[in-house]
Amino acid sequence: MLELTGPGKAHTCDGQTRRDFLRVGTLGAMGISLPQYLRARELGAIKPTHDNRSCILIFNLGAPSQLDTFDLKPDAPAEVRGPFKPISTRSSDIQISEILPKHAEIADKFSIVRSCFHTAAAVHDSGWQMMQTGRQFTGGVETPHVGAVVSYLGGRRSDLPPHIVLPELMGSGGGNLPNGQAGGFLGKAYDPYALMADPSQPNFRVPDLLPPDELGSARIERRKRLRDIVERRLDSFEASDDARLLDQNFHAAYRLMTSQQAREAFDLSMEPEKVRERYGMNRFGQCCLLARRLIEAGVRFVTINTFLTVFDEITWDIHGSKPFTSIEGMKNIVAPAYDQGYSALIEDLDQRGMLEDTLVPTLAEFGRTPKVNPAGGRDHWPQCFSLTFAGGGVQGGRVVGASDPIGAVPADRPTQPGEVLATILHSLGIDLDTHLPGPGGRPFPVVDTGNREIRELF
Amino acid sequence: MEIYFGFQRWFSVHGSRFSVEHPLPNRELRTENRERRRRFLVAIAVAALHCLPTQATAEETSADLAILPSSVELHGSASSQRILLEWLSDGGTAVGPVEDPVTWQVLDSSVARTENGRVFPVADGETFLQAQLGDRDVRVPVHVAGMPEPANWEFSRHVLPVLSKVGCNQGSCHGALAGKGGFRLSLRGYDAFGDHFNITQESRGRRVEPAEPGRSLFLAKPTGAIAHKGGLRLDFEDRNYQVLSEWLLQGAAAPSHDDPVLKRVEVLPAEMQLGLEQRQPLIVRAHYSDGRVEDVTQWATYTSAQEPVAEVDEHGLVRVVGHGEGAISVWFSSQIVVARISSPYPHELDDSVFQEASRSSFIDEIVLEKLQQLRLEPSARCRDEVFLRRAFLDTVGILPTTEETLGFLNDTQPDKRWRLVDDLLSRPEFTDYWAYRWSDILAISGRRLKPRAVKAYYKWIHNHVEKNTPWDEVVREVITARGDSLDQGQTNFYSLHQTPEDMAENISQAFLGLSINCAKCHNHPLEKWTNNQYYAMANLFARVRTKGWFGDEGDGEGLITLTVQQRGDLMQPLTGKPQPPTPLDGEPLDFDDPSDRREHLADWLTAPENPYFARSIANRIWASLFGRGIVEPVDNLRISNPASNEKLLTAIADFLIRHNFDLKQLIREILISETYQRASDPLPTNRDDHRFFARHYPRRLMAEPLLDAIAQVTKVPGEFTKIRLDGNSVSDTSEYPVGTRALQLFDSAVESSFLDTFGRNRREIVCECGRSNTPTMVQVLHIHNGDTINSRLQAEKGWIAELVAAELDDRTLMTQAYLRVLSRYPTSEEREDWTTELAGLSDLPRRELLEDVYWSLMSSREFLFQH
Repeated sequence: MLELTGPGKAHTCDGQTRRDFLRVGTLGAMGISLPQYLRARELGAIKPTHDNRSCILIFNLGAPSQLDTFDLKPDAPAEVRGPFKPISTRSSDIQISEILPKHAEIADKFSIVRSCFHTAAAVHDSGWQMMQTGRQFTGGVETPHVGAVVSYLGGRRSDLPPHIVLPELMGSGGGNLPNGQAGGFLGKAYDPYALMADPSQPNFRVPDLLPPDELGSARIERRKRLRDIVERRLDSFEASDDARLLDQNFHAAYRLMTSQQAREAFDLSMEPEKVRERYGMNRFGQCCLLARRLIEAGVRFVTINTFLTVFDEITWDIHGSKPFTSIEGMKNIVAPAYDQGYSALIEDLDQRGMLEDTLVPTLAEFGRTPKVNPAGGRDHWPQCFSLTFAGGGVQGGRVVGASDPIGAVPADRPTQPGEVLATILHSLGIDLDTHLPGPGGRPFPVVDTGNREIRELF
Repeated sequence: MEIYFGFQRWFSVHGSRFSVEHPLPNRELRTENRERRRRFLVAIAVAALHCLPTQATAEETSADLAILPSSVELHGSASSQRILLEWLSDGGTAVGPVEDPVTWQVLDSSVARTENGRVFPVADGETFLQAQLGDRDVRVPVHVAGMPEPANWEFSRHVLPVLSKVGCNQGSCHGALAGKGGFRLSLRGYDAFGDHFNITQESRGRRVEPAEPGRSLFLAKPTGAIAHKGGLRLDFEDRNYQVLSEWLLQGAAAPSHDDPVLKRVEVLPAEMQLGLEQRQPLIVRAHYSDGRVEDVTQWATYTSAQEPVAEVDEHGLVRVVGHGEGAISVWFSSQIVVARISSPYPHELDDSVFQEASRSSFIDEIVLEKLQQLRLEPSARCRDEVFLRRAFLDTVGILPTTEETLGFLNDTQPDKRWRLVDDLLSRPEFTDYWAYRWSDILAISGRRLKPRAVKAYYKWIHNHVEKNTPWDEVVREVITARGDSLDQGQTNFYSLHQTPEDMAENISQAFLGLSINCAKCHNHPLEKWTNNQYYAMANLFARVRTKGWFGDEGDGEGLITLTVQQRGDLMQPLTGKPQPPTPLDGEPLDFDDPSDRREHLADWLTAPENPYFARSIANRIWASLFGRGIVEPVDNLRISNPASNEKLLTAIADFLIRHNFDLKQLIREILISETYQRASDPLPTNRDDHRFFARHYPRRLMAEPLLDAIAQVTKVPGEFTKIRLDGNSVSDTSEYPVGTRALQLFDSAVESSFLDTFGRNRREIVCECGRSNTPTMVQVLHIHNGDTINSRLQAEKGWIAELVAAELDDRTLMTQAYLRVLSRYPTSEEREDWTTELAGLSDLPRRELLEDVYWSLMSSREFLFQH
């Protein structure tokens, strides 16, 4: 049951009228069809002028140290300031860490928020929930990833799924909690499509995207027809969300696998070698390049996980001891690849005239302890951390908010995860007063009431 | 300032995300509520007394009244008690507060008085409180003591709860590890002594001004008299302010080790049955070791565990917003209690539906009782072929062969399902399947352990499953493991978890379903576990010593020898002293007791009285057989995550205890229950049920049985020849001969892109949450385009190749294919469809046709799901 009436207005279950309020009954995981999406857009969930906006969300899994990247404290005591020096950038107001030299060259293209904080526990999983959904999961309610919200309200723009995660979904964060990278209460139909491959591998191809050679289109058609004979009688599945989801996924998969557009979007070999090298021949760099191609092909939202897990991988999670990462590991391995991939992406988007319509937020689950720990690393610290934003209407070369002299707490303009989410939705033209069909079909605001975009960025 | 104001508003928004009121005029609301209550009571009465002649009689005879609480205890002039007149059902369940005007009266007004729904003390003595509603009245005793003395506010009992309720010591404010604005409190008040010091002594005592409390920073800031970044938290008019200021005025008394201890917290009503949109206020009382009972409704914190069913605001007012079962967890001074709300579905069902439903186990009795209460109709018994496939997949993880299917379908004896179950439970595949499941919990993985260690660990659990060793003995062996990790496979648990803290956390997680990790740094914010309990538990492992490998994967043979010393304790960082070695809420051991402390832990943990142990494993088994636990997720048995059917969970846990933790007995009991045998076809009157087992819930096959089923159908076994280790290095293995089933792999690091894509548990952490059965698009693409099914259909040797050689007519071909893939005969409709299709495909090369026919069956949901 979809209750969308007259332009700009919809009736809620109790008969009240609220502007820009979408209620999609108990559809849950069923999703809604294209005409309904269009209808939703008509109602103003996405401004028509912003329908060409897209987002490449880079999630810095492991959580970078604010004090060693974008919020250096050269005047702080040695145990706080750490080993790295600040360098000047193309923006006279901004200094950043020497481990990000390529960022310095494009500092007029992105802005930094130095006063983000949240109140969830300092475990990765909680931070992932907070920063990707704007809230922590409580009361049995799992809130959706911002990309799922965009998919839900915006729908598909091409043969490709509206939200794609590169290269894989997040793995374990050690807290046994859901990681906020799913459709949540919108249903698994709004889970992202995850690539599940490393695009920097020499023989990279999307696993199983294309049918084997011996399956021509006639045979695919025939198999589909024969399969329908078996599928027809399955009444017992109609109340199962998972069973309906599988059915939907079959339909989406047919569309994807037979699409020339999709095939080409994933084909990195169509890029000149020089371009591929500019992004860096590593997993993160090639994910950035692939993200640009996917956006060009009509994908609304791409999430790049810089790493897959914090265990046994060199990541931003610089506790200093195994199975985590040392500060040298960050300096020598993590930062160079990140610096190269990110700067290449921003430059490339800019040169192609895509930056204005592509928001690139770089988020993380938290920051790191102001004091260097005995292992020479830094531990988890949600009380204050830095994020960056570029494109999608965001002005470059700005610094928003500030931390105290040791980077421990916001000293100016404390910024909540809800405001970060609001910033992304706002950039993509989504009215922040929009409501989603929440648990039990009840209205659920896209961001908690009171959270607005970070105005200083626009 | 404005920014901080916004920030405070953010918190208030979080406190009541759904507190949007529906502005109905009062009278209308009351009438409507009355009508709703009437209808509702009727429904309950009908449910309870199924043979009553008319509905009107039902209301008069079944509804009853009670005053909450059932006795009023007041102590001292500052005490008071909130009171409620509540409707009760026949069974004594609360069904909503009385909305009509009630006349309250204290019989002896020289002892107590009543005003605005509260009772206040006047003088020491005993009397009764009476509520009058129309011509009915109800009474409860009132007991007043301690009256001559003025209010004497205590730090732990009164001040800390106020600080918790108004939010001073929450994680985002002064409760942060580093405090806020130079003032630090312990998170939610777990450290009374430290907090008292910081309030009264730190910063040279400038925070308090006992002679003139209002000028204390401690009060001036939260009341807004002096700028406060945390915003306005206290109002001069407020009772909270009164408590804090009077405590200061009385000299800001410090906490003492002799202070009365909070024994328990009580919430009223604890069980409710309410209708949609009905509201119910809660009353919370704290019982102390000095016998005092205090009304702490105002200082408790409320959270809904099922927001789709019931919401709660900061004052403890519950509002029902959906059907099913809701629960409100109430937190006060590090203790948690839960109030449960049952909100029946609006289905009109005759009670005979439930009375006449067949029962073959105590399980059915309890499940039907819940279904009747919630008005959910049980689905019918599933068909034989469905039961056969379901039972095979759930107990042994394989598909029945065609011969087994035909044998079962042709069996006409009425006890054939029971015999099938007994047969399945004694098959060798039963051992493989359940050893695999327990290996998930034991985290048996070559990513962390060396190959020889992995094998020893797996062999140990496989042996025990084969012998059907009672679960308590299995767990005792893990807890008290000693010696060489190759010789004693279970010792590898200690290779994976090498610090006392890790050991305590993972033992709790694996065998009690409890996550105590948060309590490592502070009292668990949402649970009853305290930092003291955490370190008391971890201290049980302080004397464990391992020689050999230290957990660095690049290093050594990966083997350990475990010994236990007779001295040594683990320091608790907060106090700098060890806690007496104690298993969570069990009894402590003496520090100088020389025995292996883990024996004491094992005694406590596996004892029948332990409220977590039997429930945890019973719930895991239930979840494995039904696709969802009675508590969900299964790894989280915390109090604030209540069971969908508490009585059921208790009953199957008791069953296990009675049967000496014989897991096979419980599996058998569940399989023969009607509850397990229900069809998955939804009825209009149960299709919204996803928690109460009114029908069977279809679910995608687990990764490993699915891969095995594909191999079985196509007669082309898989090959497992590589292990993917840390840092993505790959090495060869010859452990698994051709024909090994995925469920026989003892290492989750064995390379298989199919198993990864279909969500096997990587066993990186002790958690069943590492497994995913969600059907993703990547899986669909793999089924369509990937090599798991396609290459097997094209294989030179195998079932399809055999079929090419055997010249079958279309009818036989399809019958055989259905039996082989779906374990059933095609329906006559399907036969017709196939006849038509196949007639049009007679020119096709035989091989291509067979491949396409089998692909279409194997890619169907009926094959990919169990239902």
